[in-house]
Amino acid sequence: MIRRSLNTILILLCLSVQASAADANELFNTLRRKIFSVQDYTADVKMKISVKYMRIPQLAGTLYFKSPDKMRLERHGGLSILPRKNINLTIRNLIPAGSATVIDAGQAQIGGKTTRIIKVIPEDDKSDLVLAKIWVDETSMVALRIETATRNEGTLTMDLEYGRYISNGLPDKLLLTLDVKDFRMPKGMTMDYTESRPDEALKDTKGKKGTIQITYLSYKINTGLSDKIFTPEASEP
Amino acid sequence: MKQLLQIELFKIFRRPRTYISFGIVTAITFVIQLAMLTDGKSYMSFALQGVNEQFDIHGNMINGYFITYIILQTLLIQIPLLVALVAGDTLAGEATLGTLRLLLTKPISRNQLILAKFMSSFIYTVLLVIWLAVVALGLSVLIFGRGDMVNIKSDTFILILQNDVLWRYAAAFCFAMLAMTTIASLSILLSVFADNSIGPIISTMGIVVVLTILSNLDLPLFNHIKPYIFTTHMIGWKGFFDDPVPVRQIGISAMVLIVYTVAFAGTTMLVFNKKDIKS
Repeated sequence: MIRRSLNTILILLCLSVQASAADANELFNTLRRKIFSVQDYTADVKMKISVKYMRIPQLAGTLYFKSPDKMRLERHGGLSILPRKNINLTIRNLIPAGSATVIDAGQAQIGGKTTRIIKVIPEDDKSDLVLAKIWVDETSMVALRIETATRNEGTLTMDLEYGRYISNGLPDKLLLTLDVKDFRMPKGMTMDYTESRPDEALKDTKGKKGTIQITYLSYKINTGLSDKIFTPEASEP
Repeated sequence: MKQLLQIELFKIFRRPRTYISFGIVTAITFVIQLAMLTDGKSYMSFALQGVNEQFDIHGNMINGYFITYIILQTLLIQIPLLVALVAGDTLAGEATLGTLRLLLTKPISRNQLILAKFMSSFIYTVLLVIWLAVVALGLSVLIFGRGDMVNIKSDTFILILQNDVLWRYAAAFCFAMLAMTTIASLSILLSVFADNSIGPIISTMGIVVVLTILSNLDLPLFNHIKPYIFTTHMIGWKGFFDDPVPVRQIGISAMVLIVYTVAFAGTTMLVFNKKDIKS
């Protein structure tokens, strides 16, 4: 009798783990389909870069994106500053495109919303992405937070807020937290007048982390952007 | 006094060396602009190699505003020389020519004479800095265009939006005028001790070079005296390109330069009033 009960429990446990893995896989695939449905967009943005060694005012401009990884900020005569290609500012590049192992990691609250956490491990050994942890709002089928561990760029965290473009899986606001290195030039070359003062906003991070906040004011989605927009010549005056 | 000032200005602007100074400023500016036109990208990529590891920066970085900043940095040593070239000659030049004694037989006080020489040197200095602003800023903007300005400190990368740059240059050039006036005062002070103008010019440059090296050496031994050396404060114009602008620090620097200028001028008057004029 006891043996039969134990067997039943074991079978139920196995089935539940399998069902949970299947759910997580289904959830990940649905989310990925939604995110990958956006092939390109043009967005009016405001961007604030907060990095220990950088003093950059809020930048306004037009952000162009074309899948899989082309991105350019046009500032109408001003300088454009974006993280290097492998730290892409789009949710698409933080989600593995190929086959991956998906693990259900439970639930958590983000901004008062219940989210399901899934861990995604890409099966491609050459991928820079080692692990992606995604907090998914199942009601709207959007990612509210993505945390990724990469081979070369450390840990990246992306927090997303949605509004008018939630049906396309595109955020109204994005906050990317990334690891930053130090910047040093010989003082004899620069002949500084004053010592630099640390940015108040970055006091708690001890200068190891930086943030990039983007507010998307409007989107034009899937308009068939030309590759020419992303060439280096297009950025130069 | 007005007539005396006009005479002193006439003396300054009839000498070829006065115009040589303006020519040298133009030549140095041209050379730097040419260098940046041909090899500016390599310079920029070297300066930004730490930033470029993590960020892609696109657009017209080597623009007129950035070039002007580079020119101002390199002229830190040259402009004092050009100021000393004229200011160091004001009293010593008269002594060499033997006109100083003759000049003092006129119904003017020695203080009035010194004041007129200070004011004429000040006007020359202001005109030289204005000329620098015209050729450095005006010409650079014409050649390289406008854009957001990048300022690189030893541990900070600063981006200034193009509509926020011009007032900073206006303030920086005004500060440069103050710093160069201090040099002119020093030069006139040294001029009072000499009977030929070479001595004060070389002495001024010697003092500026030694004190500039001292101001920039990062040794604990010198750190205590740096705040009291005027060369430490001569680069106060750079503060206007910082974020946030260190207003208090710039104010202190301006005060130090004013105190030095007044002290040099006061000492000159004191020495000149007691001096036995023999030529």
